[in-house]
Amino acid sequence: MLTASPPPSSPSPDTATLIASLARPAPASTAYTEIHFARLLKDPLVLHGQLDYGGADKLGKRVDTPYKETTTIADGKATIAREGRGSKSFGLDRAPELQGLLASFSAMLGGDAETMNRYYDIGETISEKNWTLTLTPRSPDLAKHLKTVVIDGAAKEPRCFTLTQGDGDVSVMLLGDLAATTLPKPVTHAALDNLCHAAAQ
Amino acid sequence: MNAATRGILIVGWWLVLAALAAFVSAHIKISGDLRSFMPPAQTDDQKLLMDEIGNGPASQLLLVAIGGASEEKLAALSTSLTESLKDDANFGRVINGADADMQLDTSLLPYRYLLSPTLDTNRFDTKFLHDELSERVADVASPAADFLDDLLPRDPTMEVLKLAQRWMPAKAPAVRDGVWFSPRGEALLLVQTTGAAFNPGAQTAAIADLISKFGALPDVGVAQLTISGPGYFGAKLAATTRREAERLSAIGTLGFLVLLFVAYRSVVVIVLVGLPLASGALAGLAAIALAFGDVHGITLAFGFTLLGVAQEYPIRVFSHRQSAVPIHESVAAVWPLLRLAVVSACIAYLAFFFSGVPGLQQLAVFTIVGLLVAGMATRWGLPPLLPTQFRDAATLPFIERVRAWIVAVPRPRAMPWIVLIVAIAAIALAPTPLWQNDLSALTPISPDELQREGELRDALGAPDIRYLLVLEADSADGVLALSERVAPKVDALVASHAVDDVELPSRYLPSAATQLARQQKLPVRATLSASLDEAMRDTPFQPNTFAPFLDDVEKARTLPPLTADAFAKSPFGARLQAMLTQRGHRWFGLATFSGVHDAHAIETFASGDSNVHVLDLKASSESLVAQYRLRILQALGIALVLLAVAVAIALRNAKRAWHVIAPMSLATILVIAVLRVSGVSLSLFHLVAVTLAAGLGLHYALFFERPVDTLAEARRTLHGTLVCVISAVLVFGLLATSSLPVLRAIGLTVALGVAFHFCLSIQMARPRDDDR
Repeated sequence: MLTASPPPSSPSPDTATLIASLARPAPASTAYTEIHFARLLKDPLVLHGQLDYGGADKLGKRVDTPYKETTTIADGKATIAREGRGSKSFGLDRAPELQGLLASFSAMLGGDAETMNRYYDIGETISEKNWTLTLTPRSPDLAKHLKTVVIDGAAKEPRCFTLTQGDGDVSVMLLGDLAATTLPKPVTHAALDNLCHAAAQ
Repeated sequence: MNAATRGILIVGWWLVLAALAAFVSAHIKISGDLRSFMPPAQTDDQKLLMDEIGNGPASQLLLVAIGGASEEKLAALSTSLTESLKDDANFGRVINGADADMQLDTSLLPYRYLLSPTLDTNRFDTKFLHDELSERVADVASPAADFLDDLLPRDPTMEVLKLAQRWMPAKAPAVRDGVWFSPRGEALLLVQTTGAAFNPGAQTAAIADLISKFGALPDVGVAQLTISGPGYFGAKLAATTRREAERLSAIGTLGFLVLLFVAYRSVVVIVLVGLPLASGALAGLAAIALAFGDVHGITLAFGFTLLGVAQEYPIRVFSHRQSAVPIHESVAAVWPLLRLAVVSACIAYLAFFFSGVPGLQQLAVFTIVGLLVAGMATRWGLPPLLPTQFRDAATLPFIERVRAWIVAVPRPRAMPWIVLIVAIAAIALAPTPLWQNDLSALTPISPDELQREGELRDALGAPDIRYLLVLEADSADGVLALSERVAPKVDALVASHAVDDVELPSRYLPSAATQLARQQKLPVRATLSASLDEAMRDTPFQPNTFAPFLDDVEKARTLPPLTADAFAKSPFGARLQAMLTQRGHRWFGLATFSGVHDAHAIETFASGDSNVHVLDLKASSESLVAQYRLRILQALGIALVLLAVAVAIALRNAKRAWHVIAPMSLATILVIAVLRVSGVSLSLFHLVAVTLAAGLGLHYALFFERPVDTLAEARRTLHGTLVCVISAVLVFGLLATSSLPVLRAIGLTVALGVAFHFCLSIQMARPRDDDR
């Protein structure tokens, strides 16, 4: 994705079928555990909370521990409310990375392969039990902030959402049942990868 | 002299004029500087306005939108246009919303602790640092904040962001692809011109430059540039007015030439008729070039209008030729009266010269020199060049019919008095304001363009062009301190929604005292390091992450306060520089308002502080116009007296002088009455038009009043006057059909005036048989 905006080709029929099968009726909620690896942190940061999908372009992310924060994205605006700090609002057009993230998330939960294809170049590996979608932003602007989004899943369930940011920081979001799993010790990116690729129970 | 010699001389004369024109255009500078037009400023507000402080950074802004292409393409065009305008002398600041505009220069980064208000209410102790670091942990995990990682080790308290937020206009456009975009999807830019908004010349040059730079960008394709703002309107109106005036004058001139041909049946006459006026105008311009060097465009426009009376001189010579009388004799017969007209008009315009207003003095020099040269050219230049074959106007049956009809019209003695009373009553009772001080009311902007301007101004959050907050102190730092002092009042004003935003200089740079106070609060390295270690203990941050922070704080502890001068050298500082100016020993800070909702609250919020002042640019420029008009009225009053005296002395008879002056004065009053009854408020342009009409009226009255021995001479007088009246009504009547109010004002006033002067001269100036 080094050239600027090539005409998006259509996703392959398999991919389109897979993405369509991921659709969830809104509203839908799921618990998550997020493990954030950052250069500046000596230990990965582990967050627990809940994701809320409220239909197209509406997304909520609640952090319960270790601090309380609610991010709401709706009507082209993002609002971040942090306990004890009031809330901050800004237009999504000022945060292209957040907009890209929203696009991938709501396209997945909406089962909308076309929209996802508009924002990302989609690579996929599908085996009998597991599948992996690797999304690479099409816009160079977004690519500066977000290298890839990798979605691992089994059957009709997404299990992991792995974001690799422009600066190399990685965050892995475990979804659904996996959110309640005991984390491997020590928590490493490789260990989490195994967890995400392991066959569903 | 034979026809060939005459032809050579005529061509030679035109060539001399062309050479003179070349000299004039090389040596005269037509300026748009209001100072060369207006009277000296008297009030403080007027001084600010005239000192070009009142130019106002806001009115110099062009609002620019680029549309008609994909978003990425528009963003790229916005960036390359900004780049290409950067070192252009026509433009100062060009901003398109790119991040760099809002960020502290890297070399100044340690100053952030002196510039940001954080230390006013906090200390860098363990508790504060711990709170901040906990926030940063959450920030690191936030998907919206990955760019923070680079900044974090150096700036864990995010002072850079706090400053960027503080410097962000309250209402900035949305940023997409790194640049500003309007709600309708155009890339937006604010372009500050270096020329004043009311200098159409400078604005025209800047706009042409902007358009050509945009057109020269690679990849422009179908993208479209929209420009708006006061400077753009000024330039555009100047161009439209010139175009329309030229078009109507061309038609008028054509009609005038046809009229001349009908009247004199000679092509040579048509070639000759323009020579005196052209000679006079060029001589007048040359005199201005030598005496003043530069002249305001409006002064020149007024001068050319007033010089229009000289067009009558050659017509009088043509109409008064008598068959069987050599040309030099017929010219000599009519010359005393023409000379009286020229000399008395020149004496009258002397009043303008002694008005003390540079613009009026230039007007006087131009008009007096122009009239004298046109008069002399008519007297001594034209006659030898006239064709020997001509038709004596006295032989025309049509003229005799008109003359007989005029003589038959009853002339009740009470009529002028009734007209006078009715006219004065009409003037006194007219419901609209007598004067129109707002010059821009004569050059209105189309509703579409005004709406577009409003949209762009709103989308850009661009400052208001009418009000300006002026802060006065004896140093730049004094202005900053004053700005800090009024900041709470300004905040209250914004909180009460009287205005959306006020851009104070202290928003960008605090005073030295404030910076020193903040510096005092910065802990020494050992103390800060200990507090930081303790604050970091229960956070996941790597040890030593924040060493650059410790270095910067240590640096900031010994920095000399950042001065306005030093700050101005950084890219962002240019913004502050535009807000601070020095006049003599005083410093002025200019703060702009955005989104004014309550003008009264703005005008009164600073009352009580003599160094803080809200400048109403509209009101002060209107007061200047009113003052200018007063000077013109005084000069005209004196001019009328001088004229009456000159005429009385020349005619050696007060009663005859009265017969000349009375119809001219009454017709002038009548024009004003008709304009007022039609709801017109008078402007400077009306005054100049009325003056021109009076100058023409003086000729009619002088010629009608002249006792003649023969019927033939009476016919010639009538012929000449009719040609003059019809041509003036034709040329100025055409201007009156213009859609542009300024041309309509001049055209209608002169055309009406000429008609009234003619009718009243017939009624009042002609000698009555029973007076003889």
